[in-house]
Amino acid sequence: MSELPPGATAALKSAALKAGAAVCGIADARAFDEHAPPRHRPADLLPGARSVVVVGGAQPRAGDWAATSRAVLETMGTTERIQSVGRRLAQLIESELGYYALFVPPGTASGDTPFLSLMLAAELAGVGSRSLAGPVLNSEHGFLYWSAVITTAPLEVDGREVEAACPAPACREMWEREATTPCLEVCPASRGGCLDGRLESGRAVRTFYDAPRCHTRVHTHWIGGFQKVLEEALNEPDKDKRKMLLYGDFFTRTLWAVTYSSTNVAQCFECMRVCPAAHGKKELH
Amino acid sequence: MARGPEGPAALAGVRRAPYAPDVATPAASATREESIKAVGLEAGARVVGIATVEAFRERVPEGYRPDDILPGARSVVVAGGDGPTAGAWRCPDHRVMEITGYDLRENVAVHAMCDHIERAYRHHAIQAPSLPVHGHAPPMSMMLAAELAGLGTRSFAAHIILNPEYGLLYYAALITTLPLAPDPPLDRPACPHPGCVAMYKRIGTTPCLRVCPACLSGTVKDGAIATSTYDRERCHSRAQTYGIGSFQKALHEIVNEDDPARRRTMIYSDFFTKSLEALGFYRDSIAQCFECMRVCPVGRKHRKLR
Repeated sequence: MSELPPGATAALKSAALKAGAAVCGIADARAFDEHAPPRHRPADLLPGARSVVVVGGAQPRAGDWAATSRAVLETMGTTERIQSVGRRLAQLIESELGYYALFVPPGTASGDTPFLSLMLAAELAGVGSRSLAGPVLNSEHGFLYWSAVITTAPLEVDGREVEAACPAPACREMWEREATTPCLEVCPASRGGCLDGRLESGRAVRTFYDAPRCHTRVHTHWIGGFQKVLEEALNEPDKDKRKMLLYGDFFTRTLWAVTYSSTNVAQCFECMRVCPAAHGKKELH
Repeated sequence: MARGPEGPAALAGVRRAPYAPDVATPAASATREESIKAVGLEAGARVVGIATVEAFRERVPEGYRPDDILPGARSVVVAGGDGPTAGAWRCPDHRVMEITGYDLRENVAVHAMCDHIERAYRHHAIQAPSLPVHGHAPPMSMMLAAELAGLGTRSFAAHIILNPEYGLLYYAALITTLPLAPDPPLDRPACPHPGCVAMYKRIGTTPCLRVCPACLSGTVKDGAIATSTYDRERCHSRAQTYGIGSFQKALHEIVNEDDPARRRTMIYSDFFTKSLEALGFYRDSIAQCFECMRVCPVGRKHRKLR
């Protein structure tokens, strides 16, 4: 018998949606054990963890995808909005339900490894599934940003998504015709891109994603860019060239990106731009 | 829901904070002080209090008073927001607390109240500037504002303002030309907690003084703080290991390094990378040491959950 009052899980999900999430799902904390390495499982971060609440949202709007200037998507990041929802849910769980709640920090403890994989959390909470392009896609809304809260509250958990968003019907048809999909075609690993994969019977049976290569393209104006220019500037013996490096457009944009971290999340969206499943099912005029 | 004052529906909106004097008054008969507080609490503040501008005059040097910042200022409204959740305090991985994200909702609450004051009462209202402009000195002290608004008192622990109900909160304030009735300062200081007074009687120290004798020292007399010393510079170097200071330190070492290979190692090191991340994600990397607050009993009842 649940220790929570009736309707608690539904009320929490309702609060998440009202706070701005597009979707909210709940995973069993133990479900991570067979997928996540030690120290990166819910109970490693919060002793006694029983559930993981996952919210998705703050995605690019249909208008952002339709904009003709690539600078729009490069500088419209809104991940901060979904993280704010996660933080508020953590506070709500503690103050309203009386259970411990840990907002999973969006940063990393070291290197590129997150404290808890938000992509795995979204999958286990039934609000998304992995795509050929890498990101977890929600079947209704497509590409979303994610935030998660680990809690000791025994919330009602959701099952995994039954119908995966990827590959979309249009991509399956394209595969039958051309042996590729929009995302694989726009960024093929065999031609200097990041992605590769294979469909059989309408399902992905092999995927390949070159994360380091993708990282250098998606985060061109981020901390890596800063470090790169700093090293070059210090290695440059010519004072005039050094000045050009430091006042150059690349370094200036990098400084903007570091300062406005929440609005300069990524600088490449091509695999998502061409993905029929990434933009959600709602059609606009 | 189990503990909310308004039942399950409270989760769908923003609940009423339990420590919010007088905000339960129906909107139609609410005073303007109650109305402003309700706006702040609904916007995410945990507590809201009010101080008069006059209260700052005897404690603050000229140039740092509210009416030096907003001519004609009459009142200061202060919002306190939550810090880490109880779950974050329990995390065995210290790195989570080091970069655990904050909502900083007190800033949102202050802006919501500013908008409300300007629209509803036609008086000027601005967020009080609080980021340091010279060294560690802010244009206006949020700690003093919180004290004068009756939201908390200074503690042994780095002189952090403790709210008697919630302990550690983060504060923001607004300055307005609207005259408002102030809240009285707390009649009893939040620190030392009765448990700490008893501990001091037994062994001559308190939890915070014992956990960080490097930064803190003090004495208790008649159940109150008699003397208190806080080594701010030492604390700063420990509490903010990633941030502007660490960036400056690492950059200084990098530009002074003549060997390109060593320089490269320093530039791409985990320390420098995390320092840069701290600059970008400032909300997530506010502090890297919480030990004096970890052991503080004030507000701990809100950290004891299931």
